Amino acid sequence: MAKREKLEILRDTLKVIQENRNAIKPTILLRKSRMSSSRFKEYYNELIGSGLVKETTHNQDKFITLTDKGYRFLDRYKSIIEFIEEFDL
Amino acid sequence: MPIPLPQITLGIGAEIIYSFVIILCSLMIYFGTKELYDLTSYKGIKYFRQAFLFFSIAYLLRFIIQFIVMSFNLHEILEIYPLVLGYFALFIFMYLSSISIFYLIYSMSWKKFKEKSKMPFIFHSIAILIALASIFFHNEIFYIGLNVLLLVSAIILVGIASYNQKHKLKKNNLLTTYLLLFIFFILNVFNILVPIFLESLKLVIYLVSLGIFLTILYKVLKKSGD
Repeated sequence: MAKREKLEILRDTLKVIQENRNAIKPTILLRKSRMSSSRFKEYYNELIGSGLVKETTHNQDKFITLTDKGYRFLDRYKSIIEFIEEFDL
Repeated sequence: MPIPLPQITLGIGAEIIYSFVIILCSLMIYFGTKELYDLTSYKGIKYFRQAFLFFSIAYLLRFIIQFIVMSFNLHEILEIYPLVLGYFALFIFMYLSSISIFYLIYSMSWKKFKEKSKMPFIFHSIAILIALASIFFHNEIFYIGLNVLLLVSAIILVGIASYNQKHKLKKNNLLTTYLLLFIFFILNVFNILVPIFLESLKLVIYLVSLGIFLTILYKVLKKSGD
């Protein structure tokens, strides 16, 4: 598998959550995200820290959901990448 | 016998319009990319934004210096009274001018540096050294040498940053825009350091500088807009 850029990994992870009706257990997200557990933990902390996702609890189970900022990231992803490519950032 | 100085061909009105448009373009680039940075915390976007924030402050300070020099019929920045104010203005202006160029180059080359966290510190240190040197070696030959050195460094760094890149055609357009930006920004800096030297070319420098900033702003708005 080709090396994925950081923003691409964040986008893919957010898409997995979105496609699971915006609620997914961390263990399932880890499996679907195609990352090692240590790498997943690193990105998971980044997603939480940057406010793109949040943790919720339902019947004592922990779920991960997208925040408004997370949805906005997905909406703007194409223009973000185009901007980065345009100015070679 | 003192040599008679040529008349200033562009008035304060032209300076105000020129500075206002450049500062407005820089701030629009800075604030127009805020959301992209807030969403991603991407370092390239951060350095790109910081470069234009520094450009806007440098041009604001440049305008204030020009305004004082023209209003009081002075010949150069270090005739501003009291002298300590002239030195202070020169130091801050040279620091801001240098750091804005460094940040714009770094925005496209940051991935290539191993010591990423140290680089901004190094850039600020070099910018401070350039600003101090401008004060201590106050003569035209030194200023010409300093600006040529800045320009050559910018060309080399842009060359390194663009080496072995994908999307060659797009890169060439960007590099041309950046190189023109650096050349004309350095001419603007030089115009403040040695005002009479480029007097006859002032209008051309201003028009081309405006064209470059408006082109970059157009590209930013086109790509960063919803």
